[in-house]
Amino acid sequence: MTISDETLMAYADGELDAAARAAVESAMQSDPQIEKRLARHRALRLKVQTAYAAELSEPIPERLLTAARGLSNQPRGNVVNLQEARAAAECSAPRAASRRPSWRSTGALAASLVVGVAVGFFMWGRSQSPLELGPGGALVARGPLARALSNQLASEQSPASAVRIEVSYLAKSGEYCRTFSLSGEASPSGLACRHGDEWRVETLGRGAAAGDSEYRTAGSELPAWILKSVEGQIVGEPLDQAGEKAARDRGWKSIAP
Amino acid sequence: MNTSETPQNVHEQIVTLLPRLRRFARNLTRNPHDADDVVQIALERALTRLDQWHRDARLDSWMFKIVRNAWIDELRSRTRRDKVFLAAEAGDNIGTDSMAREADLLSVQSAMARLPEDQREAVSLVLIEGLPYREAAEVLDVPIGTLTSRLARGREALQALLGTEGETP
Repeated sequence: MTISDETLMAYADGELDAAARAAVESAMQSDPQIEKRLARHRALRLKVQTAYAAELSEPIPERLLTAARGLSNQPRGNVVNLQEARAAAECSAPRAASRRPSWRSTGALAASLVVGVAVGFFMWGRSQSPLELGPGGALVARGPLARALSNQLASEQSPASAVRIEVSYLAKSGEYCRTFSLSGEASPSGLACRHGDEWRVETLGRGAAAGDSEYRTAGSELPAWILKSVEGQIVGEPLDQAGEKAARDRGWKSIAP
Repeated sequence: MNTSETPQNVHEQIVTLLPRLRRFARNLTRNPHDADDVVQIALERALTRLDQWHRDARLDSWMFKIVRNAWIDELRSRTRRDKVFLAAEAGDNIGTDSMAREADLLSVQSAMARLPEDQREAVSLVLIEGLPYREAAEVLDVPIGTLTSRLARGREALQALLGTEGETP
C-alpha cells in the first residue's frame, strides 16, 4: 500500500483520525521505507520547533505589555501603519521608547541573540537566561555567566563548572575581554568584554563541542570564529595567570588605549 | 461579548500569548522591529474588537489572524507610500546557494526566511505555533487542502535547505 507524503506529514502532525492512523501503522509494518520517511518529517518538525523555542523566553517589551493590558492612557484606535505606531509610541511613552532595544542598529548581534539564547535556553531554563538585551541593544551577561566572567580564573576552574573561561586578554578598545563556553550538549561559546559594570557579549554561537569539526582548530578548544574575533581585537598576548588575577582584582577596569 | 470571561481575564490571556504573537510576527515580517510594531497594532485592534471574539474560537488563532491582517495592511500602505521596496520573494533563491553548509543554528531561521510567504506562514502556524490544520487554515483564510499543500511544499523546501541534517540515521 502506498502512503502519500501528505498523509505521513499529517500523521507526524497528529492530524489523522484513528482509522487513517491505523492504516499508516499497518503499512509501516510491511514497508520500513515508510517509517524512514515518517522519521524525516518528525525530525524536521522537532528541528524547527527547537530552533524557535528560545524566542518564547525573551523579555517582552513594556510597550507591548501595556498595549495588551489596554492600559495605555492615550488610546489610539486609529493607528494604521508602522510609522504612526512608532511616532505614537515615542510620544506616549518616551521612556519605554528610548529603552527599546534597537534591533536595527545591532543587526548581526541581535540575530545571534536568538541563536545564543536558543542554545543556552535548554541548559539554564527559562528563569535564568544567561543573557539579556540591555539598553541600546547590547547583549549583556547575567546570572551565573556574569559571575563566572567576573570571578572565575581560567587557571583555577572546576571541570564541573557550568561556565568555562578559556582566554582573557586586553582588547584594543582598552577593555578586558574573555572567551567563554557554557556547559551542556549545545555548548554555546562566546566572547564578552567588560564595559562599565557589565559584560557585553560581543560574539555568540554554537561551540566547537557541538560537533562541527570544520570549526575546530587543531590543539584548541575554541571555535575558529571566536579565535578570529580575538585575533582582531587583542593587544599583545593573552593574559597569563598572574595578569588575569591582577585584572580581576582591579575589577576588570578598562585601561585607556 | 463572551460573558464567561471578564475583560481583565482576556487581557491577561493575551499577555500570555505575547511571546507567540511576537514569534509569529517575526516569521511574517522577517524583521524583529517590524514584528513588535505589528504586534502592537494588532493588540490595539484586538482590544477594540473583543466583542467579536467568541468563546468557542481559540484566542490564539484569533490573535494570529489579527496580527497577520495588521501586517497585510502595513504592506499595502507601504506599497501605497511607495517608500519601501519589498525584497524580492526570497523563495526564488532556494537551491541556488549552499547556505545550509554554514550548518549553524541560524540555519533553520535563515532557511525559514527563504521560504515563499505562503509556505512560511503555513510552517510557522503549524510547526512552530502548533495550531491544528483547521485553525491554521482559518487564520490564513484558505481551504484546508490549500493549507496542507503549502505546508508540504514548505517542509520539502526546508528539508532541501537544511540538507540531510534533519534526518535520523
